[in-house]
Amino acid sequence: MRAPNSLKQEFLKKWKSGLQICSSCSKNMSIFERKKAIKLSADVAMASARNGRTCWSRALIANASKNDNNKLLVEHILGNSEFQRLNKISIMRPTMSNKRVRCKKILKRSCGTIRRVSKRVVPQKILASCVAKRLSTKRTQVLKSLVPGGEFMDDVSLIEETLDYIMSLQTQIDVMRSLANATELVLRSKNEQW
Amino acid sequence: MNRGSLTEMLHCTDMTVLERQRARLKSQQQDQFHHQQPEVEERSGYFSELSGVFSGPSHVSQVPGFDGAAAGNSMIGPVKADPGSENGWSEMGKILVPGFGFPGFEANFSISRTASCTPLAAAAATTTAEVKDKISGAAAAGKVSFKKRKHDKIQNTKVVVEDEIKDKRLKGCAEEGDSKITDQNNNNNNNNKENSDNNSKENSKVSDVQKPDYIHVRARRGQATDSHSLAERVRREKISERMKYLQDLVPGCNKITGKAGMLDEIINYVQSLQRQVEFLSMKLAAVNPRLDFNIDNFFAKEVFPACPPANFPTIGMSSEMNTNPAYLQHQFNPLQQQIVSCSGNEMVINPPDMGLRRTISAPVSIPETFLDSSCFTQLQHLLPSSTTWDADLQNFYSLPFDQDRSTTFPSHQLFTGSIEASNLKTEM
Repeated sequence: MRAPNSLKQEFLKKWKSGLQICSSCSKNMSIFERKKAIKLSADVAMASARNGRTCWSRALIANASKNDNNKLLVEHILGNSEFQRLNKISIMRPTMSNKRVRCKKILKRSCGTIRRVSKRVVPQKILASCVAKRLSTKRTQVLKSLVPGGEFMDDVSLIEETLDYIMSLQTQIDVMRSLANATELVLRSKNEQW
Repeated sequence: MNRGSLTEMLHCTDMTVLERQRARLKSQQQDQFHHQQPEVEERSGYFSELSGVFSGPSHVSQVPGFDGAAAGNSMIGPVKADPGSENGWSEMGKILVPGFGFPGFEANFSISRTASCTPLAAAAATTTAEVKDKISGAAAAGKVSFKKRKHDKIQNTKVVVEDEIKDKRLKGCAEEGDSKITDQNNNNNNNNKENSDNNSKENSKVSDVQKPDYIHVRARRGQATDSHSLAERVRREKISERMKYLQDLVPGCNKITGKAGMLDEIINYVQSLQRQVEFLSMKLAAVNPRLDFNIDNFFAKEVFPACPPANFPTIGMSSEMNTNPAYLQHQFNPLQQQIVSCSGNEMVINPPDMGLRRTISAPVSIPETFLDSSCFTQLQHLLPSSTTWDADLQNFYSLPFDQDRSTTFPSHQLFTGSIEASNLKTEM
């Protein structure tokens, strides 16, 4: 078991209510709109299943509720009192920047610099430690851009949050995959019946 | 006269005798009273101390045995009571030893019995340390008596007591991990053999030593000791500890040493997870045209038994889905080819990429996964122009195949995961 079942159930419950809201809001959606709605509701449900205790979930909710269209959905998934509480927290904290850095590019660029530096510089102890530090800071920045709300974390809390984020992502993926599989099974059985 | 005088004399002598007897009785009574009172006081004092030392109920039950041993030795002369509470045990040894060697041994034996019970019930490590030292004091007293009267039984019990103490000390070392207390214990052990007074002093010292609530940082040789670098070292240790947890959580991270490599791996893993979420939400969006999942039907039987069914209005699947499987197969074959060629192209374009080693395994397991998924037939219905869809699909699938490890997971793996993750959950 990757995560406790209670977390999965909580997530599923919230996700379900979010999906209900989505489907009641707009009937005719294209597949990409639907995908976006599903993803957003799943993310927010996961964040709220973590109960707003972690930084990344709060940041994710704050990011989601920035958009007016999504605000209703977020509010519904969280429940009203929870929403107010988290909004207060997010107001107190600095507002998250919405832009997403292209992480792959940065990674590639950093890889390039490694090669260049290692070719140019004669291996000395101080320089080596300098290079190592630069490498790790670059990767830390990339990781900060990946974890929601990671821009405002120090190193220790960043790694803790990453741990938690990975755990909850795994839970989310497990639930989503099982749902997809179940849907498939139902579809296949219907196809066979017909 | 004579008679009278005799009678007088007799009377006198009687009187004197009587008086003498009375006086003697009185004095005896007073003496006894005086003797008994301090004894009683002492005993009550010691017993209060005893019950103070052994706060647990099991120890109280052991105390009456000790009481009996002490009561049997009522012939012991009064000894002035020492007010120091920590000296109680060694004092007790002193009291009992000069009177009889044997009762002293008895008392020691009863003490050792009580002591053997104490570490089981003692909650705090410091209290066990205290008790241990008091026991060792008692053992020292037993040794004094042993020197006075060479008795085989006493030797046996002494050996037993010492063994017990050794065991407890080992336990204490394992529990506390604090070098200070163990060092003092060792000192105690050495001092015990010489002097019991020293021991009592040591006792008071040890009882003062509490388990520290601050983080213990030790600078090695050549390391800086100012507060900044110490704090920095603590921070680094914290980070490396969390990194170890992450190493357990992220698959394939065990063999990599170095922070940069591990961060790389973690970044890749997080990216892959996020892409999996994207992919799965896309899949679900493709399967369900109205965002209505009759989740309760799916999960009531199989996965989530605790979810109450029939909360959600179950709306049947749309009638678009009645395509026969042969058509489905037909539709999928070109799709597979596209996927394979797509990943093949990537392999040609940038072979030195690290992510490609994982991509190679992708075409093997992907077709099975996607053959099962009947979602793509629906796409054909939904999207009028198939050319745009193909382009989209290519874009979409070239993404997760790049560094995705979703392909290594079997598709039917519902809720099997690593056990370390649950461990980690508890630690967090």
